[in-house]
Amino acid sequence: MVLSRRSPRQPAWHMLASEFGESSLHEKGSGEFDPSFVITKLGAKVNRLIVAGLIERLEPRETANGSTLYQGQLRDPSGLHYFSVGDYATEAMREMAIELATRVESGESLMLLMVAKARWFQNEEGAVYTSLRPEEACIISPSVYREWLAKACEQTLIRLDAQQKTVSLEANRASLSEAGIADHLIDGLILAKPHYGEFDSEMFRFNIMQALDIIENKDISREKPLVSEEKVEVGDSSEANEEPASESDLKQTLLSLIDALDQSEGVDFDTLLSNAAARGHERDAAEAMLDELSDGGEIHEPRFGWFKRT
Amino acid sequence: MTSGMDVHVQQVVAQVPGADPNKVEEAFIRYEKDFLVPPEDAFRSVLRRFQSDLGEVKPATGGASSSAALPNRKVSRFSELKGDDRNIEIEVKITTHNPRIQMIRGEEKQIAFGTIEDMPWSEGEGDIWDYKDWGQNQNLSPGAIVRLEGVSVNEYQGKMSLNINQSSRIVVLQEGTRDVVNPSEPVEISTIKGEGMVTVVGRVLASREDVIHRKDGSGSIDVVRGRIGDDSGVIGFLSWEPFTHEVGSLIKIQHAQVRSFRNTPELNLGHSTKVEVYRDTNFASLDDLSLLTVSRIEDLTDGNRDVECVVEVQNILVRTFSKEGGEEGKVWSGEVADPTGRCRMSCWQEPPFTEADLPVVVKITAARVRAWQGIPDITVDSAEQMELLDSPPWGKDLDLSENVVEVELNTLTSGASRVGISTAGTIVSVREDSGIIRRCSDCKRVLREGACATHGEQEGVEDVRLRMVLDDGSATLSLIVNRDACLALLSSTEDEIKDRIMADGQTVFVQSLRERMLGRKLTAIGRTIVDEQGAMLLAESCTLEVVDTVLLAAELRQHWGVA
Repeated sequence: MVLSRRSPRQPAWHMLASEFGESSLHEKGSGEFDPSFVITKLGAKVNRLIVAGLIERLEPRETANGSTLYQGQLRDPSGLHYFSVGDYATEAMREMAIELATRVESGESLMLLMVAKARWFQNEEGAVYTSLRPEEACIISPSVYREWLAKACEQTLIRLDAQQKTVSLEANRASLSEAGIADHLIDGLILAKPHYGEFDSEMFRFNIMQALDIIENKDISREKPLVSEEKVEVGDSSEANEEPASESDLKQTLLSLIDALDQSEGVDFDTLLSNAAARGHERDAAEAMLDELSDGGEIHEPRFGWFKRT
Repeated sequence: MTSGMDVHVQQVVAQVPGADPNKVEEAFIRYEKDFLVPPEDAFRSVLRRFQSDLGEVKPATGGASSSAALPNRKVSRFSELKGDDRNIEIEVKITTHNPRIQMIRGEEKQIAFGTIEDMPWSEGEGDIWDYKDWGQNQNLSPGAIVRLEGVSVNEYQGKMSLNINQSSRIVVLQEGTRDVVNPSEPVEISTIKGEGMVTVVGRVLASREDVIHRKDGSGSIDVVRGRIGDDSGVIGFLSWEPFTHEVGSLIKIQHAQVRSFRNTPELNLGHSTKVEVYRDTNFASLDDLSLLTVSRIEDLTDGNRDVECVVEVQNILVRTFSKEGGEEGKVWSGEVADPTGRCRMSCWQEPPFTEADLPVVVKITAARVRAWQGIPDITVDSAEQMELLDSPPWGKDLDLSENVVEVELNTLTSGASRVGISTAGTIVSVREDSGIIRRCSDCKRVLREGACATHGEQEGVEDVRLRMVLDDGSATLSLIVNRDACLALLSSTEDEIKDRIMADGQTVFVQSLRERMLGRKLTAIGRTIVDEQGAMLLAESCTLEVVDTVLLAAELRQHWGVA
């Protein structure tokens, strides 16, 4: 393996889905061979990452030029990763995608760990979508999943702490270095600060707490905090619904959520289910209702995993 | 307006009677402010301007040009330039940057010169030109790719070079690898690497007269060699001018040139270097600093001179060889260790101990260090440089016979090659060629497609090897696991591995390795080779770590205050 002198191999960041998914900043060096990076809210400058979770979906799709693209979702305690395995993937990855797609289809629960390249896509309106292109992956046991979770929590906590420090510091190398922030975090933090500005990091802490609970085998039934982006003025949003709501309530809730949260792209699967859950609806029931609404034509997916009112 | 400017304004008015003194004054001010040209240097331009009746000086946007009339010309190759080109824009890569002090018109000016390469974004070599920077630009670090705006071509005796003027603008497109140091500000000795011009404050730790003989035999030069230290480190110096400061004196060396001897930086004190006595009552004393002069094996690099260290000699053997003229020569080579690592030693005279005495602890002085495949070799020329010690300074309890030093992964990847280290990281890749390989019977290199790069096509000898990447989130290294380590790690025999590959195929076999190891934490023991291609760890043993995640979770909660 000859390493290019221009750009050494990029390290892999242990990262939870929410941190990667909420990124809206990217950077590429101006050199032709310079790697490109996604910059997360917590200042990680990511080219390669190592993630893990339950395979929630893995399906083949035909692309415009006739080749098969396997698109999948990986769920970890913080949310969903989106990944795709296409023609350019290694033989090992393609064979795995084919085999796993069949197994997932037949209802098997599989935990996957993958080392992947960060991908981002920006549409005409400037919205940034991140996804993964796996390089190497394997099915893991619950104990290896816990090992990965522990490492991801550790690294995320370090990044969280560093990001909090930068709030009151000047965004330059010297002041961040003096504040004791690790060298490899500094570039990303300097780029993240002006772009993301101030934001509520409560959700990140919550995700970490959940992950730690999972590691320790504790009961994971915490009330999710309603972060400002997710607050919806529909019905009684201030109180969580205690009794299980009826089916028609669920249908109404989902439709109103889409109405309220759709900003032209539609609303993504995860956000819908999370908000529905905060209103007392079971995730499985909500998912089934979404399928029903889709089949009935009341909602549609302009893009895989994003729902709009028809 | 300074009185200096007054004079120049008068001069212009004298030569151009119709000129408005206020406008002339304005012009001088503009040159000073926007183009950073002092009045005495701007005089000719201002004069010319008023002579040709242009009158006002228009600052170009971004201060790119000293002559508004001359259009900005963009080129992509040096070959497009002519000797009289001014106000050029071009993107280049900085190859070298050397600050110097030069006497210009009776004044000491800080300029820099070096080499630049055009076509910086393309693979393959661009052309190389010399440049001179008159603008004291701090952002011309070697390795950086910059856009130069407002530079001029200088043609002298047929050779063309680029002048980066005081008014030129430099836009950094890609950062370089080295920070440009202000050569007049003192820096910590431990930060001195590579070439450049520096100023240091330190105590003279060693000083002796020496003679350098010219290679062509035409004579010799008297020099002074020594070492100077501050509390961050020690560096050797070579003074070409008389140097009489005694050991223990605190001095400031201004504008010394840093030269590298092999991999070791050394201060060269030359004609433009100023050495003076320095006063600082808080500076480390000679006693404090002498602790630093004793090197540790982990600090040794190729080219170190005047090394003092204490090591345990673990084995030694003598080799004889024929010298020119038929004489027989002997060299004693051995393996040595200290708490920070292991390395080799070579003595050209019989050492004051025999093989039977080993292990012994010796203090070595005035040695020089060479390196072979990344491993330092402490070279001792005479037995007097070695002194046997009764007991090691690190205490009798430390058993160095199998010592392995634990080092963080990112420390290994950013340091020199080392032997006898242990590190841990996450396995983020299992390379496709892991498993059974074949090696050249002559040189042991791995055969590619049945052929050795040097010895051609052959059957070769079978071997087992794993290639993986170990990663700690901030740095990566290439892990090569040797045969014994492989078989132990996989709890398998070579035949079992062969059978599996035959039955399932290479791809499936490698994927099965991933199932066992991808994402897991691995500790590896061995030695590293660090060069321009990156860092590689040749492991003689590896262990997959089992992480106590419940304990780790509890520790994380406690450390970070997560409920």
